[in-house]
Amino acid sequence: MPTGVKYVIGLIAILLIWAVVSLIISSDLILPSPVKVIGTIFSELSQQRTWEALGTTLAKVGIVMLITVIFGVFFGFLIGLNDTLYDIFRPAILIMQAIPIITWLALVMFIWGIGWTGPVVVSILALIPQTILSTAIGVRTTDKRLTEVAKVYKVRTGKVIRDIYFGSIIPQIIGAIQVVIGNVWKVVVVSEYMCGDDGIGVLIAWARQSVAANRVYAYTFIVITIGLIVENSVHRYTKKILEGWEAA
Amino acid sequence: MINESGAQNGYVTLVKLENVSKHFEKLNIFNDLSFEIVAGQSVALLGPSGCGKTTLIRMIADLDDDYTGKISRNYRKIGYVFQEPRLIPWKSIYDNLRFVLEDDEKINEALKIMKLDGFQDYKPAKLSGGMRQRVNLARALLDEPDLLLLDEPFTSLDLHTKLSIIEDILEGRNQRTFSMIIVTHDVREALLMADRIILLSNKPTRILEELDVSQVPKDIMNAEFLKKESEILNTIVRRWSEV
Repeated sequence: MPTGVKYVIGLIAILLIWAVVSLIISSDLILPSPVKVIGTIFSELSQQRTWEALGTTLAKVGIVMLITVIFGVFFGFLIGLNDTLYDIFRPAILIMQAIPIITWLALVMFIWGIGWTGPVVVSILALIPQTILSTAIGVRTTDKRLTEVAKVYKVRTGKVIRDIYFGSIIPQIIGAIQVVIGNVWKVVVVSEYMCGDDGIGVLIAWARQSVAANRVYAYTFIVITIGLIVENSVHRYTKKILEGWEAA
Repeated sequence: MINESGAQNGYVTLVKLENVSKHFEKLNIFNDLSFEIVAGQSVALLGPSGCGKTTLIRMIADLDDDYTGKISRNYRKIGYVFQEPRLIPWKSIYDNLRFVLEDDEKINEALKIMKLDGFQDYKPAKLSGGMRQRVNLARALLDEPDLLLLDEPFTSLDLHTKLSIIEDILEGRNQRTFSMIIVTHDVREALLMADRIILLSNKPTRILEELDVSQVPKDIMNAEFLKKESEILNTIVRRWSEV
């Protein structure tokens, strides 16, 4: 059976289970029926505010991705090349990685209050340690035998960085991008929910205040769908890049 | 200036080791090792496995500077045929060569000499062990070194491939003179490729004997070659049992 068909069967099964459970519970406040949620999705998508909120969330996701990957890879590369820098920064990065998002949210709210900056900063702080560490580990695990070849033949440092180090960390960078893209939506929406002034997270917060569970589900569904589309596109694109760096 | 003192005697010294010693923790690897390699000469360092031959050649190539004593280097460029090919896995054979020298003409020529033309776009994993080792050798000879270092380059190769690569190296040496240091534990390899054999002991490694084999015909089917091989084997058995 083709994979696509299996996916459709899986989705239909989820919808059926959802419909049955919502019938059993019979409370729109806890679990509205799939029909009701799908209806809400269409009605929300016909409204300008939904598209504006989506655009804002997407912009934040893009900015977070860009800063996290560029700065994370650059910094990771730098500390990966130098044992002392790695030993100095590693504990701080590990601590950053262990800090719960909620702590960052509280701190960011103290500093910037409710607004656009908070969700972006929180998301970057939550996601960047993984990118830095992946890149640094990639650099540190670069095959030293190859760098010895470069030393014997007096190859330029720039070329060694480009052809050996960068080549070695490409799989780690792509792995890190995939981890970031898989989490960035969740982190941005949660941050918007807690300290944002616009975006899908804020719409979810308003829906919760209005006790409109069907809208909460509808927005979540929209975020999941767009998140999956973006993740899939990035995955396909990065897979293509990776093919060029594979050993055979 | 070692080349000046050498030149006074009519030769140029490329590498000179003076009282070189190396320890690894409490293990004494070399003790007061001294010898020199003259330009145009081919020297085999013949010693038992684990006696530190690779460490020695790495020190000569300046890849290991943790030793006492003095190593004077007077070469302009070296080529290093590593034990394992050490090719960049994600780069094609052509790009692997281009990594060390950006000269398309020389790369194409090296590929042709090493019988690798037609494989330039292949990545290393697609090639056989013998072909990868040919790339390793092509890379070492690419920039016309005056000293070629070979670190047991035939360990994982079958006899036919080994002889074919040795032939390529000797052919390359006929076309353009360069000195060679070959590290091996195989008497036949040493005899085929060297003018002089330095017989090393086990750890702590020291020189047991130096043999001039420049007059031995480089042909494994030749009776004189086989006789010399047998003589050296006898010497090895005798000297290694003494230590």
